[in-house]
Amino acid sequence: MSGAKARSDAPVAEDVSGTAAPPRDRKPGGGVLKRLKSRRSQVDSRPVTEEDLRTQSGDITPEDVLGLRVATRGYLCKPEANIYNVDFVRFKIRDLETGTVLFEIAKPPHADDDEENREADSSTGRFVRYQFTPAFLRLRTVGATVEFTVGNRPLNNFRMIERHYFRDHLLKSFDFDFGFCIPNSRNTCEHIYEFPQLSDSLVRQMVQCPYETRSDSFYFVDNRLVMHNKADYAYNGGQ
Amino acid sequence: MGLLTILTKMKQKERELRLLMLGLDNAGKTTILKKFNGEDVSTISPTLGFNIKTLEHKGFKLNIWDVGGQKSLRSYWRNYFESTDGLVWVVDSADRLRLQDCKDELSALLREERLAGATLLVFANKQDLPGSLSKEAIREALALDELKSHHWCIIGCSAITGENLLAGMDWLLDDIGARIFTAD
Repeated sequence: MSGAKARSDAPVAEDVSGTAAPPRDRKPGGGVLKRLKSRRSQVDSRPVTEEDLRTQSGDITPEDVLGLRVATRGYLCKPEANIYNVDFVRFKIRDLETGTVLFEIAKPPHADDDEENREADSSTGRFVRYQFTPAFLRLRTVGATVEFTVGNRPLNNFRMIERHYFRDHLLKSFDFDFGFCIPNSRNTCEHIYEFPQLSDSLVRQMVQCPYETRSDSFYFVDNRLVMHNKADYAYNGGQ
Repeated sequence: MGLLTILTKMKQKERELRLLMLGLDNAGKTTILKKFNGEDVSTISPTLGFNIKTLEHKGFKLNIWDVGGQKSLRSYWRNYFESTDGLVWVVDSADRLRLQDCKDELSALLREERLAGATLLVFANKQDLPGSLSKEAIREALALDELKSHHWCIIGCSAITGENLLAGMDWLLDDIGARIFTAD
């Protein structure tokens, strides 16, 4: 999988109308304050375009990408921005209803060496194409696992934001704080969630229009973009 | 409406809880986490970082963090204390030789200010092993009865058979829920 990370969870029309709590001081005795949480319900930022972000000065921040309304055409950072050597080495999806693993790819050890010796375009290792059957869009409860390794520097405030779109329609925005990551560590994270029941017409369109379902995965360390991976999806397999 | 009331209500809406699973290496933290979530537990490697699961259970959104317990990793545990609602301390009930070690590490955690508000669940794991100590013996060895600073409970369990894992988690969530969500 060459270090790319992509999830193929099906799209979720998510309620993004909630209010994010401002940072607050923690008071002993309650877990209420200053919570590290998945920020699922936070307000989206003002709309921005890929062009806006390319012309602005300074680093690209989480708030910036939360304002995107379609999948980007290009990458918002270079592979060299990954100065912490974060490497996604496994991705797995399982169906909790049946307990079956639907999909699993692992990066073979030492794959990096090959990559470095290869003259490749900027998408190498950052883009994955998935092909699923239509049945994938009818799953109920799924677990999506990523496994990643970290280089020899600790990561502070490691955060993932993943945006899934079908054409120009935002299906799901996922936002999770890993927080601190130990130097030279190997970590896993599984998100188990209810699959949304998509409308018949949306399912039909997503099946009929392969690779128009796309996702952008953005990774931040201390609010600076360090990785950007992309994926696209077809759901017409087996037909 | 006071600030705490507002915050309580905000949280009530999300009901998102953060649980931290710690314990000495080979205690069975990852196996518990996987078994609880219906995953295969036949091959578990030592955790050299963390394993996170986010899931919904009993109306809560749970973020469970299992951080490796090897000695070299324990100094990093502190990075995961913030905002913890529940601490799950996992004990290998058959590891008699390291019980003192186990007690010392737990005592140190319970002195941490950032864990002061967390409910403590102790899993006396590996009850399926013939030589394992009972949960009463573990309770005594860890001097839990002297613990006044935290809500706590000890439950004997087996990560391999799954026995009592649900019972333990449910107790933990009930206790946290009663503390946080009815604090009006």
